[in-house]
Amino acid sequence: MAGRGGEGALPLSPPPAGEALLLSARGIEKNFGPTRALAGADFALAAGEVHGLLGANGAGKSTLSRVISGHVRRDRGELLWRGKPFDPAGPRAAIEAGIGMVLQETSLAPDLTVLENIFLPDLARPGWLSLRARRAEALSILGNLGQAETLPLGAEIRRLSAAQRQLVEIAKALAVDAALIIFDEPTASLSPGEVERLFDVMARLRAAGHGLIFVSHRLEEVLAITDRVSVMREGRTVAAALPTASLSQADIVRLMVGQELGRIHHHRAADITTASVLTARHLAAAPMVRDVSFSLHRGEILGLGGLVGAGRSETLEALFGLRPRQGGEVLLSGRPFAPRHPRAAIRAGIAFVPEDRRGQSIVPDFSVRENLLLGHLSAHRGFGLGYRTREARIRALLKTLDLPAERLLDANMLNFSGGMQQKIILARWLLLEPRVLLLDEPTKGVDIGTRQAIYAMLREAADAGTAILVVSSDFEELLGLCSRIVVISDGATIAEMPSAVLDEAKLTLFAAPRSSMAATGQFLSELAAETGGVAFWALLDGGRLFCLARAGVSAPADPGFAAGATPLFGETRIKAALDAAQARFVAEADGDRHTLLVPMRGHRGHDFGVIGLSLAGPGLPDALGLPDALGLPDATAITRRVADLVSRQM
Amino acid sequence: MSDSLARRGWARLATRLEVRMFGLALIVFAALSLASPFFLQTNNLLNLLDQSVVTGIVSAGMSFVILTGGIDLSVGSVLGVTAVLMGLAMPHGGILGGVLVAIAIGAGIGLFSGILVARFGLASFVVTLGVMAIGRSLAYIFSGQNSISDLPPGFNDLVYTPILGVPSNVATLIALYVLAWLYLTFTKGGRTIYAIGSNREAARAAGLNVLAYSILPYVVSGALAAVAGVLLSAQILSIDPLAGTALELDAIAAVVIGGASLAGGRGSIIGTFIGVFIMVMIRNGLNLLGVSPFWQGSAIGGIIIAAVLAERLISARTGGR
Repeated sequence: MAGRGGEGALPLSPPPAGEALLLSARGIEKNFGPTRALAGADFALAAGEVHGLLGANGAGKSTLSRVISGHVRRDRGELLWRGKPFDPAGPRAAIEAGIGMVLQETSLAPDLTVLENIFLPDLARPGWLSLRARRAEALSILGNLGQAETLPLGAEIRRLSAAQRQLVEIAKALAVDAALIIFDEPTASLSPGEVERLFDVMARLRAAGHGLIFVSHRLEEVLAITDRVSVMREGRTVAAALPTASLSQADIVRLMVGQELGRIHHHRAADITTASVLTARHLAAAPMVRDVSFSLHRGEILGLGGLVGAGRSETLEALFGLRPRQGGEVLLSGRPFAPRHPRAAIRAGIAFVPEDRRGQSIVPDFSVRENLLLGHLSAHRGFGLGYRTREARIRALLKTLDLPAERLLDANMLNFSGGMQQKIILARWLLLEPRVLLLDEPTKGVDIGTRQAIYAMLREAADAGTAILVVSSDFEELLGLCSRIVVISDGATIAEMPSAVLDEAKLTLFAAPRSSMAATGQFLSELAAETGGVAFWALLDGGRLFCLARAGVSAPADPGFAAGATPLFGETRIKAALDAAQARFVAEADGDRHTLLVPMRGHRGHDFGVIGLSLAGPGLPDALGLPDALGLPDATAITRRVADLVSRQM
Repeated sequence: MSDSLARRGWARLATRLEVRMFGLALIVFAALSLASPFFLQTNNLLNLLDQSVVTGIVSAGMSFVILTGGIDLSVGSVLGVTAVLMGLAMPHGGILGGVLVAIAIGAGIGLFSGILVARFGLASFVVTLGVMAIGRSLAYIFSGQNSISDLPPGFNDLVYTPILGVPSNVATLIALYVLAWLYLTFTKGGRTIYAIGSNREAARAAGLNVLAYSILPYVVSGALAAVAGVLLSAQILSIDPLAGTALELDAIAAVVIGGASLAGGRGSIIGTFIGVFIMVMIRNGLNLLGVSPFWQGSAIGGIIIAAVLAERLISARTGGR
């Protein structure tokens, strides 16, 4: 988790001591039916601070933020806003009081322009809208955020990137003078460069005296941007307003889970030398999936890593026959496989647990038993139900589920916790003993204890020979559960790596959207074309190189790795340069190549890896130190261009 | 735990909607028995059954459609047009030929609506509204705006031949309800219809044949509307192009009173049966009590709204269904 930590990169001051409290919450309770979402949550936020709100999935942090933002009404507890009792009847009331929320999935109107969206709340007010005044106001808001150039006010929302949409949300909150802004998982679909920009914006808001709540599970980001953190567990606040500077990642994890978990998962090695069960080659399914390739083996748990919107879910849907394919080839046990609908996929032995449990899995009017048997119903070929044939296996599965048999007939699946629901949906498919199991965000909204049970169910299935393909935004889970990771970005496979060599930070960089990295790719191509060598962008860590992108085809200059490769330094053809790691041309021992490595570092201290340039050169030893005589380009000039690239793009 | 086990008995049964609706039917029955001395007479009770045949059969088909979350406004017109075409076919094909023509055309019209709704994603309300207008217009055109009364004399036997002591039209009604109940409860297709209405996306993602079983209910509804038309024509030995006008409203009301959700996924064929009976009893009772026919619409409408509102309030409180 190196690289993105908060090693004092923030130029801004910590929260001013004694600053007036904006908001305080004490003993907040909230039940959803039988589910206890909040059981005594406390929280306090001062003006001019970024306050991290942390907790495992299901700990209640989202519910608490929704109580504050007026989306959910509390059952009990005290809420004070600027020292006065506060009981918002709905989001409207909270907005009017000065509380804004930047949601995970944005609440913007996609067909309206940026300007119209920023002033959407004004549409509810009587009187005429003065567009000219609004435009000036919007420009000043964006200007204060330092983002006047990044957002064209006339653009329609659906043409914007995820990062730009978020900026619109922030501007929208500022347009109604929000003093408190809640950021709910704001970085989930941003590239590292975009995250840095968001943090700049947040730092400016803090400096302007706004109070910010930052809800996230990316601990390194929490350490980088927050001043204080509060940690929730099982609906209760277990640590209130601890100064971030006093905490380490391990401390926070301990507070979140209540005990030292160490590494939650253990790697299991599958035999990937056997023939693959499911192979995809250049799979394309418009509009999100462009070029996805991987192979999945019997008993293997393979991770499909990438950001939200990278085309991960759509890849699974295309494999399952839920989404038409335009190109590429899929082989199931060596034979071409192109299911026209899910039934065909199920009968061929494929199962799929979609991401949206409520929307895509649960049939709310069915009992637990019928929900469990829904996959069977479509696999079954008869006219009747054939439920009896599965009785024995259901009984066996109930033990794994930890579900009393009498609850099978329970009328309403929605009465169960998210974790139990997910286990039941998983069991729906395990019941069919599939050859291939596709999982989309298998532990979303699942409490940490049940997660372990789900991991155990998956490992057991894999041990029994099922090949499992997992999509997860929780990179820690992905790295812990899977033996290999296939990374996709903007709908294309860009790397396939053993998870043992990866960590969350590296995976995040690999998974960054290529569109936001387009300038880097462009730069590499220019460099390669100008010099006739090979330019590459890579991370260097622990004697291993992670190649993110590469341009140039010169065979003699070839550094010995392709984009997406993760060789040890010794396995490349530029070992000497990598060992030296200096911003000047270093010749290899054989003298055939000269390589320049320029580090990329954001102004907030983020490490974006290095830009490398390998050139074929005559066999002159480096010791002569006469680069100009060799006709090598000016290293300082290239270094300057890299710095320029970072400031422009990252 | 023992608490919740104890609740599994009668109390649990009472949370079931059909049981509550059955209770309501009993209350209506008792109230009418007290209000009118004629209500409980054997003749009147047989009359009740007789009156529930047409609405009942159409409502069974309507249940299938509503369970998937759709609606079929065309049943009345389908009844009219299929009856007219049956009347035209009978001189050539005989009774059996005419009946088969009617059912086949009813099913065909349902197939047409079903394909437009399920395959092309049109709103069922709009599609069946269009079919309703077309059907009625064709009924007028084919009949030449006149009633058809030159029907074979044996046609009447279709209604009143006793089967196990029950008039055949009532026997048909009961048989169709038993078949529909068996189908919806114990077959893959029936459960798929429920799953589609409850959560179409989940049904699709689980691999159920959503397309076929979204179309089928319209076919069933169209065919059953034709069957109802056959029995209605046989009963009065005359076919009027206006037959079945506004029948869709009674059918929808019966299904809703029977506890089905118009959003789909929730409801039962037994509930519909009870709903039909409540409707027919109220109409019958109002007639016996001499309430002006002009007031009957208001009474029935008020009762529909009250029943559904009460049901909503009860299920909101118990959290059951």
